[in-house]
Amino acid sequence: MVEFETLDLEQSQVGKLKFELICQRDCVHVLHSMVEVIALRAGLTDMETNRVALAVDELFANIADHGYGDTPGRVQFESKIHINDDGMKELHFMFRDYASIVDIQGWDCGNATQCSAADITPGGLGIQLIHSIMDVVEHVALDDGNQWTLIYICKQGTKGVGDEA
Amino acid sequence: MKLDVTVETNGAGVVKVAVEGTVNIHTSPRLRDALKPLFVNQNKEIHIRLSGVPFMDSSGIATLVEGLQWARQSGGRFTLYDLQDTVRDLFSLAKLDSVFDIAEGNIEEGA
Repeated sequence: MVEFETLDLEQSQVGKLKFELICQRDCVHVLHSMVEVIALRAGLTDMETNRVALAVDELFANIADHGYGDTPGRVQFESKIHINDDGMKELHFMFRDYASIVDIQGWDCGNATQCSAADITPGGLGIQLIHSIMDVVEHVALDDGNQWTLIYICKQGTKGVGDEA
Repeated sequence: MKLDVTVETNGAGVVKVAVEGTVNIHTSPRLRDALKPLFVNQNKEIHIRLSGVPFMDSSGIATLVEGLQWARQSGGRFTLYDLQDTVRDLFSLAKLDSVFDIAEGNIEEGA
């Protein structure tokens, strides 16, 4: 049995999933399944798992649509369970793409409030959802692409696979 | 990934649509293709049953927004019903639960 609290998660492969794919829309199903696995391992509820998977799917969709313009492109994905300095469990999701540098202005909508039907665009709404679900949304523009990090802080007492009862 | 969309019309402008499967960036174009021909003035009510949809993302919402816009322009009614909790949660997160006409349970039972 795995006890996340007693593991050096940065060194261990437990709680980590990573893969590289050619970014196309159908790959969202693969990604979604992997996020569900890591969320289950961390002990999230079904509703929390759905939310986290939604946020990750939305980021992937934005990379596919806006980064690569719906053409195939290389994407590296890594997820891990991390215990922060306060002993809280966090889920980290990192994307690395090799698309053109994204205009970060469009990502600054974490304070969005009410939408009207006329305002809704798939990209804008997706970004709003990411911000509403994730505790941290980070973007780093690299010379040859973008790096994205989403962090979800689990509720205190969330028990995952192998955690002490 | 499979997405099934079944359309029933009653001849009086009332259309019932049943959606089964995940609605995401990959499958939502199929939903859009099925719904778009319904957004015509001959139709008065379009009811979308979502009990078979365990997951939806913003591309699904954007597709359904086209139904809202049709209803507003034509004076028709566009209703979502029988939502799973996860999809209802999505509309709440998006702050769209009060924008859409969302009926509780099965609309055929008096919603």
